[in-house]
Amino acid sequence: MPSSDDLSGSRITRRALVGSGAVVLGAGGPALAQRAAQPPRAKGPVVWLDMDQQELDDAYDQIVYAPNRDHILKRCTRNSEIVRERLGAPKRFAYGTGPMEALDVFTTKAANAPVNVFVHGGAWRTGLAVNYAYAAEMFVNAGAHHVVLDFNNVLETGGDLMVMAQQVRSGVAWVYRNAASFGGDAERLYVCGHSSGGHLAGVLLTTDWQKDFGLPPGLIKGGVCGSGMFDLKPARLSKRSEYVKFTDETEDKLSPQRHLDQLVAPVHLVYGTLETPEFQRQSRDFAAAAKAAGKQVALSVMESCNHFEVMEQLGNPYSLFGRAVLEQMRLAPA
Amino acid sequence: MQHDDNTTRRTVLAVAAGGAAVAASGAARAQQPGAKGPLVWLDMDQQALDDAYDQVVYAPNREQVAKRRIANSDKARAVIGAPERRAYGPSEIEKLDIYRTKQANAPVNIFIHGGAWRANRAADYACLAEPFVKAGGHYVILDFTNVDDAGGSLFPMIEQVRRAVGWVYNNAASFGGDPSRLYLSSHSSGSHLGGCVVTHDWRKDNLPVDILKGATLSSGMYDLKPVRLSKRSKYVKFTDEMEEALSAQRHLDRLNLPLVLAYGTYETPEFQRQTRDFYAAVKAAGKPVELLVGEGYNHFEMLETLANPYGLLGRAALAQMGLTPAA
Repeated sequence: MPSSDDLSGSRITRRALVGSGAVVLGAGGPALAQRAAQPPRAKGPVVWLDMDQQELDDAYDQIVYAPNRDHILKRCTRNSEIVRERLGAPKRFAYGTGPMEALDVFTTKAANAPVNVFVHGGAWRTGLAVNYAYAAEMFVNAGAHHVVLDFNNVLETGGDLMVMAQQVRSGVAWVYRNAASFGGDAERLYVCGHSSGGHLAGVLLTTDWQKDFGLPPGLIKGGVCGSGMFDLKPARLSKRSEYVKFTDETEDKLSPQRHLDQLVAPVHLVYGTLETPEFQRQSRDFAAAAKAAGKQVALSVMESCNHFEVMEQLGNPYSLFGRAVLEQMRLAPA
Repeated sequence: MQHDDNTTRRTVLAVAAGGAAVAASGAARAQQPGAKGPLVWLDMDQQALDDAYDQVVYAPNREQVAKRRIANSDKARAVIGAPERRAYGPSEIEKLDIYRTKQANAPVNIFIHGGAWRANRAADYACLAEPFVKAGGHYVILDFTNVDDAGGSLFPMIEQVRRAVGWVYNNAASFGGDPSRLYLSSHSSGSHLGGCVVTHDWRKDNLPVDILKGATLSSGMYDLKPVRLSKRSKYVKFTDEMEEALSAQRHLDRLNLPLVLAYGTYETPEFQRQTRDFYAAVKAAGKPVELLVGEGYNHFEMLETLANPYGLLGRAALAQMGLTPAA
């Protein structure tokens, strides 16, 4: 099987290669995405790339481009219930002292099995692990443990993303230190995430584990970031700053694209062609930057999928998202 | 490097669905102003009934999902290879695509596509094959004529589909299939045809009455009366004979295989009711049947769950064949 971890793999038919999507900077309009036709409007001053404030705000507001958001969230919630009916309730462990500092582990039968840690999205302000269990059966059947993290949201942290980042890092550190207690192989630890969880997965992949946790720099063996954000500057300029208290420090420390020197694991980016212009650009730019830095990076583009349609396909081993995760973990079916 | 420019690969849904209706994607349409007309079927006036047989009214993302299915089918062929294409009859359209599993003497699932009896082709459903092929089953996707080419009659379509099933039975061994383990899966108008197939009297064709061992029918129609009353009669030339002969729910005495029936909670009222009523009738007739309800799925999104071995339909169809997901 060709490696999924580099851009020169033979399976280019299933991937868009970095740089091939050359038209990157378009802000997009009604004709470019799923959003409905908009009434004519005078364009305001440009605040980011070629976008005015309204366009940038829209580009960080998923429902503008994905009007079926709530339907998909509803079925992911239901599909998570179905997974628990089939697999049983997960084991729940605390990785910290706060009530949200806990994680769910769906265990596979194989001994000393690889572990996938999932970081859910929700614009940093919503989401619970219990509603993101829908991919667990795929991992468990493929021979991996699936860990779904809980953590506080940005409304609970007073607008501070650093607290959330520290929590998900602590969750991963806990899994590394305690994998053996649930039959996991700490040396085969992988992460994935979607949306703001894709951002946090990017943060995990560019964390200085030695300095911050006294753990090996290569403790994460690979990561898949679905529909993520990798540089926070435009998010800060958008209306998301109404509920996220961005600081220069937050923006810099939590922009994975600015810490590529810390990136030591293969990373696979996934996004859909019906996502907002910014959520397409973020993945493309991160992939291009990682490639330019000589890192192992792959990019999969899911055709005619919006933000949430990408998300739910994590649970399908034959989708580009599910495939990316399984192939990275060397679990894909032949 | 086939992905060159994202702007060329996007669907302009807004053109098809327009304005606020898009925001209801998958849910009920925006209510039209105006007084309700005389009832023509159950509690529906003509407009309501017409809407209930017009998928895009309730599934404004139809074109987007279709585009995704076609793109995913291209990708699937790149992974599992081109199918073996065989003729089951003399006309150009009477062909089927066989996606072969590696296992010898393997069970076979035959898929009948939908498209309001008017549209679609086997090649654009290849994305359904991989979960079956990887799990140890052959997947056979049928091409057949459409109602427009058939002069408004549904009979040529059902006759072709039945003949294709017979061909698979007689020729399964030629592609490593086990003729004693044939199964059916279908969607939308394909499930209407599937309902006719599972209530066919196979003795007329000198074939075993238990030629099929199970069927998973999603989002279908099993009694044609309300369809005939709807605007679909503009392109289907319904007759009393057609309505009677091709309403599976009226021929349950000939049903002798386990059925899995499914619909999504965002389907039209009639496409939900058709499956519920068929399920109740089959159950009342004492035949084995299971009902699956896809919570939060519209008509077209239901089929996508067949392309996932952990999805609602994929799981059910594999289980019916005694197969488990490969990964």
